[in-house]
Amino acid sequence: MVERKIKTIYDVVCPFCGTLCDDLEVDIDIKEDSVIEVRNGCQIGTKKFFSSNPSGHRYLKPRIKTNGEHKEVSWDEAIDAAADILVKAKRPLLYGFSSTECEAQSKGVELAEILGAILDNTASVCHGPSLLAIQDVGAPLSTLGEYKNRADLVIFWGSNPVHAHPRHLGRYSEFVRGYFRKDGRNDRFIIVVDPRNTHTAQIADLFIQVKPNEDYELINAIRAVLRGVELDVKEVSGVSIEKIRELVDMLKLCNFGVIFFGMGLTQTLAHHRNIDAAICLTRELNDHTKFLLEPMRGHYNVTGANQVFTWNTGYAYSIDFSRGYPRYNPGEFSSVDLLIKDEVDSSLIVASDPASNFPAAAVKNLFKHPLISIDPHETPTSAFADVVLPAAFAGIECEGTAYRMDSVPLRLRKVKNAPGECISDKEILEKLIIKVKEKLGE
Amino acid sequence: MSLNNLILLTGRTINQGVALEGGKTTKENVRAAAICTFDKDDFKKLDCLVGTPVKVITDHGEVVVYSTISEEGPHPGIIFIPMGPWANQLVNPDSQACGTPTYKGMKAKVEVMRSGRVLDALELMKRLREA
Repeated sequence: MVERKIKTIYDVVCPFCGTLCDDLEVDIDIKEDSVIEVRNGCQIGTKKFFSSNPSGHRYLKPRIKTNGEHKEVSWDEAIDAAADILVKAKRPLLYGFSSTECEAQSKGVELAEILGAILDNTASVCHGPSLLAIQDVGAPLSTLGEYKNRADLVIFWGSNPVHAHPRHLGRYSEFVRGYFRKDGRNDRFIIVVDPRNTHTAQIADLFIQVKPNEDYELINAIRAVLRGVELDVKEVSGVSIEKIRELVDMLKLCNFGVIFFGMGLTQTLAHHRNIDAAICLTRELNDHTKFLLEPMRGHYNVTGANQVFTWNTGYAYSIDFSRGYPRYNPGEFSSVDLLIKDEVDSSLIVASDPASNFPAAAVKNLFKHPLISIDPHETPTSAFADVVLPAAFAGIECEGTAYRMDSVPLRLRKVKNAPGECISDKEILEKLIIKVKEKLGE
Repeated sequence: MSLNNLILLTGRTINQGVALEGGKTTKENVRAAAICTFDKDDFKKLDCLVGTPVKVITDHGEVVVYSTISEEGPHPGIIFIPMGPWANQLVNPDSQACGTPTYKGMKAKVEVMRSGRVLDALELMKRLREA
């Protein structure tokens, strides 16, 4: 039997979802420098650690597309080709950033400013409407520890954490024992509002099945009933008035309530109006008891991308530097809208895969123009990119800072070295900045 | 057989999450994300076996995916495709000037395919590139 030398790293922060679990234990084979075991992680987080090991879809060297085929090249050649594309473009798009660490995001802002580019992160297609609503009406938020220790009524609205944030329920919101909720699950009443009887709904105390695209009506019906208005209808959005009254009584009687909301509110027809209404409901509930809400952020550092972009430019996403100073206008400078209008003439994608996640009409135009991808893996975006710059996994192969969904910054740990010639996103962007400046004669 | 007047929802599933971390261009991702889940009673009306390819059509596009019965039902009239390249052939790209496309709640119809192949992620992208 071959003897293995194993090193165990404790308290590793998981770089998958916004829950940012910080209690993982990772076993590393020292000789092979590979992940051999992950404890405490969810299925998806564990898979991410394992997929950092070299495989058929992990890039080990930079690539440039010549005659329709990717060819491995040196870093100097690849950076030169990428800088060339960016410098020649009139309206380049820098997109992604949510699955990398804050230092790299900061370099992304610097590069966007030098290029006079569009700068956007993945909030643009997920919780962007939440940010718009928060700018409109503010938001009563808190850190996850408060919910864990105090919440006795938890609502998941348009969010399915069993699938999307698998350990959220166990760490912060449902099963966990808190300081004032010593009996864990038994001390909390769980409500799920969703058009489908999701796995989260199946373990809840109350499931409210709302019609698709009609959350806005339901939230406002709840607000009306809360104010004592008699609604002259039998049901709203598929929910009977009796059930709405029953729900309002529960909300008023709890000691500490929280609404965790997800894509079910941001990606349906009413977009940010849904969140506006949910925030107003939360505010009004505070006339009766303590109530807060929290967006269930998807990418592990999308909150960080919003923070870093905001403290650098004043705006969280959809930023245009073309006039030399940052301008903000989602709908005009947001990636999908720009691509659909075909206003972008080259793209630099950092730690993201818009080809998989943007609507087809936007992807068609993304592929029409030169494309640079900074990614550890082969993705539908990088497979068709003109230049692929192989990155180390932030939080597995390099350190950095990431913001949890409640805006708490945590330090990501390095558990192993990156394979091949992979370097961190930050180093790649630094190289690009130097090259772009050189080409611009700065 | 076909079904009209359905509403299409998209979103994360844990299998799709695991598959994308395991390699977005792999067959595993096709099995996890190129599927359309139906309410049990809706599926009976389709009169086909689980796994039969179906063509899902919305005002914004069409795509062929495998059919299956939802574990998160009942949700009559609603079909669900996990987020990813297949779902994105069908979603409404209009963000109504807020930046975020309408990924959920499109009107859809479904036709059972007697012959037809489910494309993998890269084949889908090639089709978009050439379009």
